[in-house]
Amino acid sequence: MMNHRESDTDIPAVLATDALCCRYGTTVAVRDATLVVRAGEHIALIGGNGSGKTTFLRAVMGFHREYSGHITIGGRTVASRGNHPWVYRAIAWMPQRQATGAFPLLVHELLDSSLDPAAARQSAIDLAMEPFLTRNLSTLSGGQLQRVFLSRALGSLTGGAQLLVADEPTAALDFAGQQAMARLLTESAQTMLVVTHDRALIERCDRVYEMAGGQMREVPR
Amino acid sequence: MTAAWYEYFALIPVQRAFVALCISSAVFPVVGVWILGLNIVPVRFAMMHVALLGIALGMVLGLDTALMGVVCCGIVGIALAPLADKPTGLAGPMGLVMTLAIAAALLVLSIAGVNANGAFELLWGSILAMREQDVWMMAGISAAVVGVAVVFRRDLTLLLYDREIARSSGVPIGLVTTIVMGVIALAIGAAVRQTGALLVDAITILPALAARNMAQSQRGMIAWAVGIGLVGNLGGFILTLVINQPPGPVLVVTVSIITLLTYLKRR
Ligand SMILES: Nc1ncnc2c1ncn2[C@@H]1O[C@H](COP(=O)(O)OP(=O)(O)O)[C@@H](O)[C@H]1O
Ligand SMILES: [Mg+2]
Repeated sequence: MMNHRESDTDIPAVLATDALCCRYGTTVAVRDATLVVRAGEHIALIGGNGSGKTTFLRAVMGFHREYSGHITIGGRTVASRGNHPWVYRAIAWMPQRQATGAFPLLVHELLDSSLDPAAARQSAIDLAMEPFLTRNLSTLSGGQLQRVFLSRALGSLTGGAQLLVADEPTAALDFAGQQAMARLLTESAQTMLVVTHDRALIERCDRVYEMAGGQMREVPR
Repeated sequence: MTAAWYEYFALIPVQRAFVALCISSAVFPVVGVWILGLNIVPVRFAMMHVALLGIALGMVLGLDTALMGVVCCGIVGIALAPLADKPTGLAGPMGLVMTLAIAAALLVLSIAGVNANGAFELLWGSILAMREQDVWMMAGISAAVVGVAVVFRRDLTLLLYDREIARSSGVPIGLVTTIVMGVIALAIGAAVRQTGALLVDAITILPALAARNMAQSQRGMIAWAVGIGLVGNLGGFILTLVINQPPGPVLVVTVSIITLLTYLKRR
């Protein structure tokens, strides 16, 4: 575990947001959020429903574009499309609402989209998902889906991604699954930003931030 | 009836129509799958009217009307692509384009003092009236469709499932959307002009709708769509000759019945 010390500023920031404000039309979902995630840190983001956690992560991922302020990944600004090929190799992403797209996608097709497809497939096998490799994602349970997305993210970490960004990765899992997932996430990701309500996962993180009404503050521990 | 159905194959227009139908019903169902995946079913109506605008411009400027129709469709399709990233998607803008294009076409014709009926006649083609260059254009666009489907297979599979998943996998979704929209628009524009507006559905959207009911994967959907497109359209074409009725309605009815049957499969 890493403590928050003055000397941390020598460690490069993997992710930095500065005065980030996100809107949906006239609704402000994130207000003035400033966060620095340094290499080796595990950061938990907690907060009530609708407090802006998912919006914050989607802005970091370059999906939510209606924002002001600055977002950088490894020092490169996310707003610039020219950086996208690099940015999407730097981040392993676990979405919250795993698109139940109108169109089918097979489990192995999703795993193949990982930076290291072989490692992703091996992770899926380790997580007891082998019987489901040729299944359509829309036929999986919530917990199974989360394990597939986790496998994809783990593959990307093996393939060189520096940062894991995960949105409620253990929400659909049973208790034993949550414990195992919390361990797997913290052991696999060198650097992680995770939205979660899960105690086991929060306890494994170095710092905790809470969002309320779009505002973010560090929770003293 | 004086001739047996197979004797019609001695006629050049029937041969051309059959060749064009073989090519297009084997390839255009892929376009139908893309249209469903991008949720842009109104693209057919939109491109029909954009093609009319192109024809109007062609008549006024003294250029090849068929080519102008297709070119206009391609340009508008590409211009619409960036809107795919808006939360409201592409279906709304498609409706807008449809209305705007027909108004613009009528305005262009009126300003130039050209009779609008002439333009409409050029728009409503028939597969039995295809010229040799029309068949070649159809083949060329089909080749483009196959090329895009092969080169961007992985990207498209992810993109049609979910744009954000695709983006996070490093798919250049802006580029891929632009290319696919351009090809869809070209294909629809060409097909409307050359085979008639009604038949476009029989070779694109209807097989794709049927395939969606049958398949569990996108690859499966493409296979089913192509299979149903070929069987339905070639079978329908022979039926057309047997009962000596116009191809457009007969093909659409044939493929529609197959599509309806696939809805029975769903639990
Ligand atoms: N697509 C959207 N359009 C409009 N408002 C949205 C949209 N998505 C989320 N919001 C609003 O933004 C706020 C933050 O939502 P979200 O970031 O999903 O919260 P959380 O993940 O913390 O539960 C909420 O008030 C929500 O209603
Ligand atoms: Mg959320």
